[in-house]
Amino acid sequence: MKVDAVNTKAEIESKLHNSSDVKSRTVQFFKTKIVIMYVADITDNFLFNQTLIYPLTTYQNAVGTGTTASDVEKELKEKVLANQEVVEFEELQQAIDGLLSGKTLILIDGAQKILACDLELITTRAVMEPPTSVVIKGPREGFNESIKYNLALIRKRVRTDDLVVKLLEIGELTKTQVGVVYFNSVADKNVVKQIISRLKSIKIDGVLDAHYLISYLQKKPKSLFKQIGDVEKPDILVGKMLEGRIGILVDGTPIALTVPFVLIEDLQNSDDYYSQPIRVMLVRILRLLGVILAVVLPGVYVALEIYHYKILPTEFLVTIMNTTQGIPFSPFVEIFFLVVLFEILYEANLRMPQYFGMAMSIVGALILGETTVNAGLVSPPAVMIVALSGITFYIIPSQAAQFSVLRLCAVVIGACLGLYGMLIFCVFILSYLASFDSYKSAYLAPTAPYIKNDQQDLFKRANIKEMRKRPKSIANNKQNQNRRGNEN
Amino acid sequence: MKINYRQLAVLVFMSFIALKILALPGLLYAESGNMSWLVTLILMLVDTFYAILIIGLIKKAGNKNILEFMTEIMGPVLPRILMFILILKYGLVVANISKGLEFFVVENFYNELNWIVFVLPLILLTGFMVYKGLRNIARVSEMIYFAVFIGCLYIALKSIAGVDIFNFLPFFKDGVKPLFEAGFNHLSWFGSGTFLLMLFGKVDFSNEKRFTMFKFIAFAFILVLLVHFVFYGLFDVTSPTHAFCISDISQFSSGKSSIDELSWLVVSLWVTAQAVQLSMFGYCMVQAIKFTFNIKNNVFPILVLLIYIFMWSVIGENTVRLEVVFLSTFASVLTIVSQYIIPLILWLGWAVKNGGGKAKKSKKQKNSTKNGKILQKNALKTPKTDKNNKKLSQKGVV
Repeated sequence: MKVDAVNTKAEIESKLHNSSDVKSRTVQFFKTKIVIMYVADITDNFLFNQTLIYPLTTYQNAVGTGTTASDVEKELKEKVLANQEVVEFEELQQAIDGLLSGKTLILIDGAQKILACDLELITTRAVMEPPTSVVIKGPREGFNESIKYNLALIRKRVRTDDLVVKLLEIGELTKTQVGVVYFNSVADKNVVKQIISRLKSIKIDGVLDAHYLISYLQKKPKSLFKQIGDVEKPDILVGKMLEGRIGILVDGTPIALTVPFVLIEDLQNSDDYYSQPIRVMLVRILRLLGVILAVVLPGVYVALEIYHYKILPTEFLVTIMNTTQGIPFSPFVEIFFLVVLFEILYEANLRMPQYFGMAMSIVGALILGETTVNAGLVSPPAVMIVALSGITFYIIPSQAAQFSVLRLCAVVIGACLGLYGMLIFCVFILSYLASFDSYKSAYLAPTAPYIKNDQQDLFKRANIKEMRKRPKSIANNKQNQNRRGNEN
Repeated sequence: MKINYRQLAVLVFMSFIALKILALPGLLYAESGNMSWLVTLILMLVDTFYAILIIGLIKKAGNKNILEFMTEIMGPVLPRILMFILILKYGLVVANISKGLEFFVVENFYNELNWIVFVLPLILLTGFMVYKGLRNIARVSEMIYFAVFIGCLYIALKSIAGVDIFNFLPFFKDGVKPLFEAGFNHLSWFGSGTFLLMLFGKVDFSNEKRFTMFKFIAFAFILVLLVHFVFYGLFDVTSPTHAFCISDISQFSSGKSSIDELSWLVVSLWVTAQAVQLSMFGYCMVQAIKFTFNIKNNVFPILVLLIYIFMWSVIGENTVRLEVVFLSTFASVLTIVSQYIIPLILWLGWAVKNGGGKAKKSKKQKNSTKNGKILQKNALKTPKTDKNNKKLSQKGVV
């Protein structure tokens, strides 16, 4: 390709449909005309002036050398722009792609290549604690929307040549940067290969969030259950990578995906690794109980009220009978109504401006709840059951969506089939989950199949010192099972 | 998809307890009195022997399925006949579990229930689990076995204070004959290891640990015998009137007209365990149908299984008593053939084949040694001649 500064500039502008934000400047460098092209809104003005325009103009005045285009090219790369990483494009389309991703093009009249330097303006929010992964102890840094910052947060924690970052571009129009990160000696090579090949095969016009990739990475895309992990904090991601998982970062989203994923991951919290093991055990058992309560409690209540009231202790039964007397609806309608009401309130609260949110909570909790009970539309135990179930959802916020669907199913099944139906429902869910495998890792591991080594981080969390082996339930490099530092 | 050795042990545990702590104790007591626990103990020991025998054969068979293993031993026809007998046996167990579950659920969970409608979710679950395969059933069993064990143990221990030890005395007051009769009549409740026959080529023994199987079988023994002990200790001569051992002992212990809350949880767990067992034996039945009729896909045999379960809920209602079906001589003979004779035939066949192989091998080895000696002798005696070489080659040395 031979560059004709003016014509090439015109050609690029025409290819970009004369977009208004594509700017250019013409500089005379000795006898050679240089055109500098950039996209105004994604180019850092300060860097542009300080590291490109200023050296170009001052250098010319100070020394004065170079006559041919190749001399100028050499001069620019080696002297004028020595403080920049200069990239060369041999094809016009490559140069246009570079321009659109924040590079500044330097078109030298008569040159064989187009030079470019990276003066991209990075606009992102500060590194903050993510709202869904709040911790009492431990690091508070969370990912933000810039893949560069996110990779930097990982690199900051991992100073080893073993960390591999593979960058891909996905999206025909958005050309979003996607980074696959893993430890070379820890991750399973076949899984890495599988993930990269799946990512490369994605045909989509745009990727705006990490969740766009999930349906391409999941083995059962239509399933209700989560099959790909998501994290918002670099310490959690690095922790998972140390176990053999692979992280996937997407530019423009603060969420990193992790594969393989096993169900028990969501019962574990980053706090757990910074707290006392006994406390952790208690908390994890409570979390599991919370999940069970969240999903089955309303259904069991309906089943008990309709079919099996004799199970309830007499005193409790009398209390319930007293409170439910005069309620015009059946237990099923009552609970179903409250569950749906809860979902509506939750949805509304989530999307409302923050200052309305508080008012909404008051309206929802006090006015609606109190009034419906006082009006005799629903009974206090029903409100209590749904409220308890609703709160326990958020013990594992990342699974709340799945739980809400399961809860509705449980209510319907409890009303139709009673406790027996609930039992069949639970076994069905277990069986369904048992049939899952996420990238060579059993979904219910290390419980089913039972893996003795991994019991150290199931309910009971062993001391960090004692956790000598990487989890075997995760597909990782089986030749490198020892956590380094414990090899002897 | 293979299951691992521990999952195999869990499945053995579940099958050992599956049919033994519900209706069996009462039925046994009706015939053999206060020594019924001995019948259970002896037949469980026999079950253990057969389970270990079959597991040994599975190990020897490597990747071969049961049909390939049988065909290798006894040719192409007999295996299919034996497979057909196994279909009947598994069918019997499936019917036993589904009917047991029906009576249990109808009696304990609901005041009034149309089981024909209620059996549909159970059929769906069984179909799903059987379709998903052995590994799925093994994993679900792994998830629930411990809770079932602890739950049943809790019920038994909670009620143990009410046990009257004199209910077991005197020993053998009616002699030994009733024990044999009771054992024979109730054989179909035993033979827990028969499901193992369909696991040929489906177990990965690479992570086998020495005592895992014994540990799980011991758990099953402890649980079953303890529950029987508590049951007879509590109910004595009224035992035959109690059809649901595991829920009845908890009812007694609570001292109320209704079952206490925690016991209901345990009883519920028991129902889940039975549902999983139904899938396990349903899977075996499907496999046996596939082998017998040389069917490649799963869908048709699964449909047959599901219709079969449904038919039981229809024909069994109010017309056929559980005992009539499961205590018939047909059931006992079928059980003897399938759970005691077939494994023995397999073992003998394997032993004869391998013994024969060894004998042939050793004869060959003997010949070659003999020829070797001749060769040595000739080598020492005279230089090798073409004649000698010819002779030796005729004898098969070269």
